[in-house]
Amino acid sequence: MNPLEELQAEYRRELPQKLETIAVLWSARRVAELHRALHTLAGSAGTFGLPQLSAAAREAESYLEACGPALDARQQAGFQQLFDAVVASAA
Amino acid sequence: MSSGRTALSSTELSVLVLLDGKSTVAQVQARAGSLPAKAVEEALERLLRSGHIAPAVDVTSDHIDPGNFFAASASESEAAAATLQANGYFVKFAQRAAQPRNLAAGEKITVLVVEDDPQLAKLVRTYFQMEGMETRLAGNREEINAALRQPPKPDAIVLDVMLPDIDGFDVLARVRQHDAVKDIPVIMMTAKATREAVLKGLERGASGYITKPFNIETVLVAVKTVLGLRK
Repeated sequence: MNPLEELQAEYRRELPQKLETIAVLWSARRVAELHRALHTLAGSAGTFGLPQLSAAAREAESYLEACGPALDARQQAGFQQLFDAVVASAA
Repeated sequence: MSSGRTALSSTELSVLVLLDGKSTVAQVQARAGSLPAKAVEEALERLLRSGHIAPAVDVTSDHIDPGNFFAASASESEAAAATLQANGYFVKFAQRAAQPRNLAAGEKITVLVVEDDPQLAKLVRTYFQMEGMETRLAGNREEINAALRQPPKPDAIVLDVMLPDIDGFDVLARVRQHDAVKDIPVIMMTAKATREAVLKGLERGASGYITKPFNIETVLVAVKTVLGLRK
């Protein structure tokens, strides 16, 4: 395994932890941090060979941007669906 | 808009970032907002003449294929190599250095990589090291300041936009205002691929713009392009 492949494997190993962190932020409704975490995930996942996860994270990130800092009940339900899609695309 | 380090006009830049390799002229005009349709068409013609875009067929027909961006003629001092997709996912733009640069025996390029995601930073550093480049990493304002003060002066900067305590566009603006470092080529590297973000980077003097996710080789090619190194 060359160094780049090792880094990719490391990224995939640490992915569950990243998703767990995002889940915690969502549970606590820490929207600004959640947005940042999704932004980072969207940028990194595709680079490390996970384009579907990247696209799902970007969609969730864009949704949060459109909602603003406080999500109403309908928006929360909408985000939950996108968050579930992020988790599913990482599986 | 001041067009910073590029010779393209603001209208041309505005049109450039709307191209996605498959849209018709009418679709580009529809996406151009307040720009008159005639101005869009004229800008496309200028971009064609200057070699910044390549048409599949004549621009006056209803289809263009600007997917294959390439460097303008060598006689242009600020030639650009670019590939753009306007779908918000992928932008790759690197201004070719005015003069080619040949490295002396043993001479190494130093690249400052400003990226707060440690795994992405490590990826870029590893790849650059495999290619014989020295890499300095920074992930926040303090580390950026320290890295810029550290000799030797970096030959190029790869700069993330969304940093924890400072905006990458502000970093770019400050670099361009500082005598000691203002001439260092800066390549913006970001997940922000909106038209506004691209224009903001170019307006403030970015030498290149790459959106995440990226192919790691793309970053290397961009660095070599802005430094005038052979790929």
